[in-house]
Amino acid sequence: MDAEKRIQALKDRLTYISDIFAGRESDSIRLLSAKFGELQDRHGSRPGGATGEELARLEDLFDFSERKLDTTLTPMDKVRIVRHPQRICLKDILENVYDNYTEIGGRGEYNIDPSMLIARAVFSRRVGEKVIDQMVMVIGQEKGHGEAFRNGGSVKPWGNAKALHYMKVAETENIPVHTFVFTPGAYPLEDWPGAAQQIARNLYEMAGLRVPVIAVFSEGGSGGAEAVGLADRRIMLSHGYYSVISPEGAAAIEGGLTPGVRAAPSLVEKCARQLCITADDNLQNGYVDRVLQEPPLGARPHHYDFFRELRRELVQTTNETVSEVKPMKLYRAMLVRASKSDDAESIFMRWTLSRSGLGRLVDTRQRKYRAMSRHARKDGTGIFSRAVAAVKGSVWATHSFVRYDLLGRQKKRLDAMFEELGAEAHLVRHKLLMPLKKGVDRIMPGNSVERARAGEAVKDRLTRLSCPEDGACLVGSEWAWISPRSQEDRTISCPNVRTHHCPDLWVPDLFGDFAGVCPSCGHHFPMEYRWYLENVFDYKMSKEFNQQLESINPLGYEKFDLKLDKAKEKTGLKSACITFETTIEDVTATVAVFCAPFRGGSVGAAEGEKFIRAAERAGRKRQPFIAYVHGTAGIRIQEGVNGVIQMPRCTIAVRRYIDNGGLYLVLYDTNSYAGPVASFLGCSPYQFAVQSSNIGFAGPGVIAETTGMPVPPDYHRAYHALQRGHIHGIWDRREVRKNLHQSLLTMGGRNLYYR
Amino acid sequence: MLNIKELLDKVKASPYREIVVRAPHTGVVEFAGLKQGDTVRGPGGDYKEKPGTLLAHLTREKNRKPIMAPEKGEVEVIHSRHEGQFVEAGEPLMTIKHYLTRKEVIELILQEALYLFRAPERAKYYFVPEVDQKLKVSGKRSVKVHEGMEFLIVSRMKRETPLAYSGPEGIIYSVYFGRGENVDEGEPLIGVCPEDQLTVIQDVVARIQSEWEEQE
Amino acid sequence: MDSANLGRHKVLIANRGEIAMRVMHACRRLGLDFVCVTTREDLHSGHVRLARELGGDQAVYTITSYLDANELFSVADASRATAVHPGYGFFAEDFRFARRVVRRDRPLEFIGPSWWVIRDLGDKINTKRIARSLGVPTVPGSDRPVYSEMEADEIAASLFEFQATQGISDGVIMVKASAGGGGMGIEEVGGFEAFRSVFRRIRNYAKRNFGDEGVLIEQRIFDFNHLEVQVVGERGGKKHVHFGTRNCSVQSTGKQKRIEVAPGFAPGVVPYTFDAARVLDEITRHSLAMAQETRYDNVGTWEWIITPRGEPFLMEVNTRIQVENGVSAVISRVNGGPVDILAEQIRLALGGSLDYGQPDIAFDGVGIEYRLVAENTDNRFTPCAGTITRFGWREHDWLDVYTQVPTDVPYEIPMEYDPNLALAIVWGADLAQAKERGLQFLGELVLEGDVAGTSGAFHTNVGFLKDKTGRLLEF
Repeated sequence: MDAEKRIQALKDRLTYISDIFAGRESDSIRLLSAKFGELQDRHGSRPGGATGEELARLEDLFDFSERKLDTTLTPMDKVRIVRHPQRICLKDILENVYDNYTEIGGRGEYNIDPSMLIARAVFSRRVGEKVIDQMVMVIGQEKGHGEAFRNGGSVKPWGNAKALHYMKVAETENIPVHTFVFTPGAYPLEDWPGAAQQIARNLYEMAGLRVPVIAVFSEGGSGGAEAVGLADRRIMLSHGYYSVISPEGAAAIEGGLTPGVRAAPSLVEKCARQLCITADDNLQNGYVDRVLQEPPLGARPHHYDFFRELRRELVQTTNETVSEVKPMKLYRAMLVRASKSDDAESIFMRWTLSRSGLGRLVDTRQRKYRAMSRHARKDGTGIFSRAVAAVKGSVWATHSFVRYDLLGRQKKRLDAMFEELGAEAHLVRHKLLMPLKKGVDRIMPGNSVERARAGEAVKDRLTRLSCPEDGACLVGSEWAWISPRSQEDRTISCPNVRTHHCPDLWVPDLFGDFAGVCPSCGHHFPMEYRWYLENVFDYKMSKEFNQQLESINPLGYEKFDLKLDKAKEKTGLKSACITFETTIEDVTATVAVFCAPFRGGSVGAAEGEKFIRAAERAGRKRQPFIAYVHGTAGIRIQEGVNGVIQMPRCTIAVRRYIDNGGLYLVLYDTNSYAGPVASFLGCSPYQFAVQSSNIGFAGPGVIAETTGMPVPPDYHRAYHALQRGHIHGIWDRREVRKNLHQSLLTMGGRNLYYR
Repeated sequence: MLNIKELLDKVKASPYREIVVRAPHTGVVEFAGLKQGDTVRGPGGDYKEKPGTLLAHLTREKNRKPIMAPEKGEVEVIHSRHEGQFVEAGEPLMTIKHYLTRKEVIELILQEALYLFRAPERAKYYFVPEVDQKLKVSGKRSVKVHEGMEFLIVSRMKRETPLAYSGPEGIIYSVYFGRGENVDEGEPLIGVCPEDQLTVIQDVVARIQSEWEEQE
Repeated sequence: MDSANLGRHKVLIANRGEIAMRVMHACRRLGLDFVCVTTREDLHSGHVRLARELGGDQAVYTITSYLDANELFSVADASRATAVHPGYGFFAEDFRFARRVVRRDRPLEFIGPSWWVIRDLGDKINTKRIARSLGVPTVPGSDRPVYSEMEADEIAASLFEFQATQGISDGVIMVKASAGGGGMGIEEVGGFEAFRSVFRRIRNYAKRNFGDEGVLIEQRIFDFNHLEVQVVGERGGKKHVHFGTRNCSVQSTGKQKRIEVAPGFAPGVVPYTFDAARVLDEITRHSLAMAQETRYDNVGTWEWIITPRGEPFLMEVNTRIQVENGVSAVISRVNGGPVDILAEQIRLALGGSLDYGQPDIAFDGVGIEYRLVAENTDNRFTPCAGTITRFGWREHDWLDVYTQVPTDVPYEIPMEYDPNLALAIVWGADLAQAKERGLQFLGELVLEGDVAGTSGAFHTNVGFLKDKTGRLLEF
């Protein structure tokens, strides 16, 4: 290699190092930069330039120092590594790991979303005499070494829709999907298909995608990562990160900063450490299956050895995934599991699976996620109760099966037959008797006395009090529970006063009779969740379950124990989620409520688990499943990936429930944002919102920060969500119960107990 | 012909408009501590989402409401004798001297330059549906009016009657009333520009655009 | 009458125009302090002038709107008022307003029935049900919102059948949204075949516009007379008297009353096809019975319709003082002396006792009340805006005129409020004399004005009132 090029390469390495350590001084860096300076001087001053020997010496020094520095990397340094333009990107992998590939769904800038890259790729392998091509669908974010049009790998909603489309293509063609997660997070746009709703759709489909999916994580930025991250096997690159939020974002929240203000670097460092975002953290927590070691200070495009390693890993992991669910446990399968060496490639295994194999694959995937994050919650339920619950669960399932499937179907058939018979008999009777009656009427015309008496009876019916048992005064609009705010004699202004000229509202009327609804413009003031519990869900009469599942501080996040205790004390709840069984008019349903006053209704491991158990219970009892979101700020950041992982976990639970023929209905209220909307809420086929609520992916502050554009004040309003197609209706608070009942009767699948 | 220079000079001689900030309703006033000569800001931001400078609070039935500056300007008078006192609706609280913006100057001079069709009585006014439609679809300056053309509806006490235009033939250049707003008798409803003078008017606008410097 | 202990009260008059003026006078008569409100548009109304005359500048407060309750309470506190008189219209029948008056941290007396009485009787369906539970006759039909189509069919069929048995060959029924009002969502049906589609239409209309798809189905009654009974009760709701009946059948096309006559019929003077005296007696008895049962505790009016066959049906109860209270007062004597129903309302609301009974009340002569309105009676009674340039009448001892319109300066009718100009109450020893004096008053009346400078476009209903005087109380 020519000296100039080698010097340039060293220069790049030096810049890279100082970038990664963000100007942090250390002896190694000082030494390297001094030595490199000397070399450059010599190269410039001497006619022959630097000698090959000198160069080799310096290169060795670089190698040595990089190894040494690698051991000192902090989590934040790793964040800087994956964000660095020199970091390998998906294009590098396609060129160096696969043997052949064709980009589809756009090319370069000419693309519906250049930050999402799709390719059909091939592994060519020699097995014995033959060369065999094995096809995979490669899907992942492309950061393009900092090319502006790639948007840093921040995918727009339509980019995620494209990804989903090609996952479905892979499913049709029965080839494995390799996804690569290279994203700082999804781009927060609400336009159709919507950042949150599209991620939710991706998760929902991946929860049941009938092909093997292998995911490789380099930069796993929360929701954006989940859009392609729900996989059978998850490999994480050793210098990558996988996190619920960017450390800067966490620091901004921690520091209580207003948007636009930067957090102090030390606080960002601390947050990065506390969030447990590194590969080792995630492996330990069980959220990735394997960590692939990168070269010191992270993989860059010239690390060809690393690409070879990645190739071996991908082949082996795909083999493993497939062999695990192959009907016959072959010798090869055992070998696959045993092999940890380079000869993974020597074992050939077809990657197409049979119908039953695919079924097992999906089932295994779903179980895998179901078992996660157990350590991140506390179950205060006693062992005995737990055993009872387990037994009850299977009893319900059996009971439902016997009652609604075995007997129910027979009964339905019999009922239908009797109905038909009845109708037949009625018609026959009518046909026979009518001529007779007419004849009688002709012979004996109605006598007048009788008519007068009939008139009296009719008059009586029309003028006496109907249903006297209800009392003379029909009392309407009396609520079972009224906000304590209604006790205060004061007035407040309606936020729409500027446009609708609403008079100020007297608080006792507003929160009493009016149920928090402005009578002149219909604005819904936020209402306590208890209002819905009592006035909609008849909470007093309901059966609550899993009350003892409790939110904890799994990462030991600083000062969070105290905050959590405060929330528990303030609300009397153990987590932000309440699950219970109740009856709405005549239909028994399972309800999960997310309560905003408990840490903003954020979702962590306990909330996720409660939600999943509720979905499972609803499924076993063949009940409709209603998620009432009083408010949710997103995933609970202090739980790190323990929180994020609830997105796929809960979505899978919902998917299983819906696939079994249930009715899953989501009702949003006040403010619902981020992770939960982008997963188990946004994937519901029936989503409604209480008037004046806000629904979205990222709040206005985050959008302004990410996109650099301020959003209109009503950007997230429910009616905009309706207009964009994210929700299907807006309900008046006072009619929620009526509308829910109507929905229970008209929506949902075939397997509800009352159907 | 219009003497634009003269008009502009007239405006330049007194480039201010006095805005009297009145109590929007009854209540107890607390001023926000501004002094005479202080500058205030009107609402700002792309969506006017940032409120103007806080002038005072008005508390009625335990609802403490801020009163914000409606426009940019300078505090001229503060009626501080009301501090902590109950005031009736419409009571003047402050006067703000507002330096005219370019847009306002254009409107002001246009009112001189255009033929103004004025409200015959205090009422609410609406365009007849055809005109309304055309204005919405093709914008102002797309509708020509002529003597005797019924183009407005007068709505007063639930009674709606058509109103015919009288004045020189021309196109509707400016509209001065809002939907559902009461317009006092004699207030201008629309500004009409005869077609042959359109270029003159456009020159006026262009001149003001370049000559009027907005005060920061 | 024990007005002595009322003196500590100060009444906030939460209304405008002629009723505000009458309340001021009544307060004066009772020795009560008062404070009144006005708006920017209404500064020239006579009530403002009168308030200044009687109470000085501090008796008038400018507010943004008579319809903003917060303004009223704000003024009540600032002026240290202790009671609120709502007049009629605005907040008079708003039970939430009445409730806020007594429940706020600084409670006031509400001059009107207690809020729960307003709530229960303010609802037409509830009123109908209370009436039925007491055996008081109501219009045949449903007494609760009907939701199911089958139930509706049954009621409609019965109604047609019932009308047929009554000898009404082409009966008509009314289908209306139970949550509606003001003539919205009402349709008439002439036959059973058309009923179902109308029912569905109204139900959908109700659901869209009122959020409740309940529908009422009633017999449509034609050519009826509109009568009312003036009831007065004391706080506690245990003791009631009535001040006779009124006939309010002369109305504008918009069902706005234009002439009221007391008493409601003239049996023996005007021929009727039914026993008119018995009907008057019956509706008075029923009204008092209902007042007793509901513990009605202030002034109120029971509104009845009388069919051409002399059947009375209770329509609604107006839980407020009415415009036409004066026409009942003018024919009533308590222990031989005159009575002011408005003053009685205030006195009783503030805890005064009803220290006389029905036997102490006598009736004398006939009263006619004319409502002078600037409107075009030939063109659907459309209100007329403009300026009153000349207004005057000749005083008589049998005449009372209540008006907020000044007689000495031109007055622009504010378009924000209803265009009533004045009330004239005429008394006569019998119907003939009352009619004659009525015509005399209308003949002597000077009422001129102009609209936007021309007098041709200015209309009043004086001609209409003259025309109608001739056949008063005839069915």
